[in-house]
Amino acid sequence: MDSKQIEQLLEKYWSCETSLEEEQQLRDFFRGNTMPESQKDAAELFRFLDIEKSKSLNENFENHVTKHLRKRREGKIISMVSFTNIARIAAGIVVVVVATYFIRQEVRKSYPKELQDTYTDPQMAFEETKKALMMISGSFGKARREAGKMKVFNDAEKKIQSKQDTGKTNI
Amino acid sequence: MNLETFQNSVFPVKNKLFRFAFRLLGNSEEAKDVVQEVFIKVWKGRDQLSEIQNLEAWCMRITKNLSLDRLRQQQRQATDSIEKGFQVQHSDLSPLENIEINESMKRIGDLMAALPEKQRQVMHLRDIEGYSYNEICEILEIDMSQVKVNLFRARNAVREKLQKIDTYGL
Repeated sequence: MDSKQIEQLLEKYWSCETSLEEEQQLRDFFRGNTMPESQKDAAELFRFLDIEKSKSLNENFENHVTKHLRKRREGKIISMVSFTNIARIAAGIVVVVVATYFIRQEVRKSYPKELQDTYTDPQMAFEETKKALMMISGSFGKARREAGKMKVFNDAEKKIQSKQDTGKTNI
Repeated sequence: MNLETFQNSVFPVKNKLFRFAFRLLGNSEEAKDVVQEVFIKVWKGRDQLSEIQNLEAWCMRITKNLSLDRLRQQQRQATDSIEKGFQVQHSDLSPLENIEINESMKRIGDLMAALPEKQRQVMHLRDIEGYSYNEICEILEIDMSQVKVNLFRARNAVREKLQKIDTYGL
């Protein structure tokens, strides 16, 4: 490949119009040691890319990873994994149940006594409610009778007031 | 899938994974850790491997994600020179020429490390690993136009800087 073709290919490369094959041709060309001064930048870059591609991990790495993976695989055979999961879930449920019980107890304690249920049988509860309402109703009746007496006083006060007013006009 | 099949199908890409992780992290020990993590992840999901069309691209994608997670966790930039501790020796060149080459390689490494993340990733995958545009789209989970734009910008940024260095010594 002559330098003119390389120039053209390089222009295509900088404009990102080269195919992978053309880029490989450039790489191969720049592996040679004699470069024209005008292509020094590109030569440096391609040399850099080549060196970068040669970097690798050593074989020890594969052995190390294999050991690690083998350990993981052996660990998976033991059914302890699923047992621990089940134990975790069970422990979680126990904690939730116990916590709910204690919270309920606390809430009950904080309720005033009057708000607590006292009867389990609905009929009995109805009878007791009826009794309580009758008692309230009786008390209301009594209060009304007492209020009736107040009316007598009121009428008497009005009569006295009117008599005093007529006396004043006669004078 | 047994361990032997796994070794035969996944281990051959280890160097590509390592180089890509190294490009993103700028540290070879961390890059090794990432590759190991990738293998463990793939091994854990070995039952689903038959559903994956391009295993190599999938491994590269995991490498990218794990490396970026690490970078985010550490909240630092991979600005270390990627050529640190890496010396090239050419027996047919004089010691002075060798020094010059090593300096120039370090310079280009620094230029590449200074590129924006996406440009660095695309240029690495295309120019070092030789992936097709479609494969790069798959690995980086971006569309074709983004791949081409990033590659164009990356190559031209490196070219411009190299020209400046040559012309003005900057």
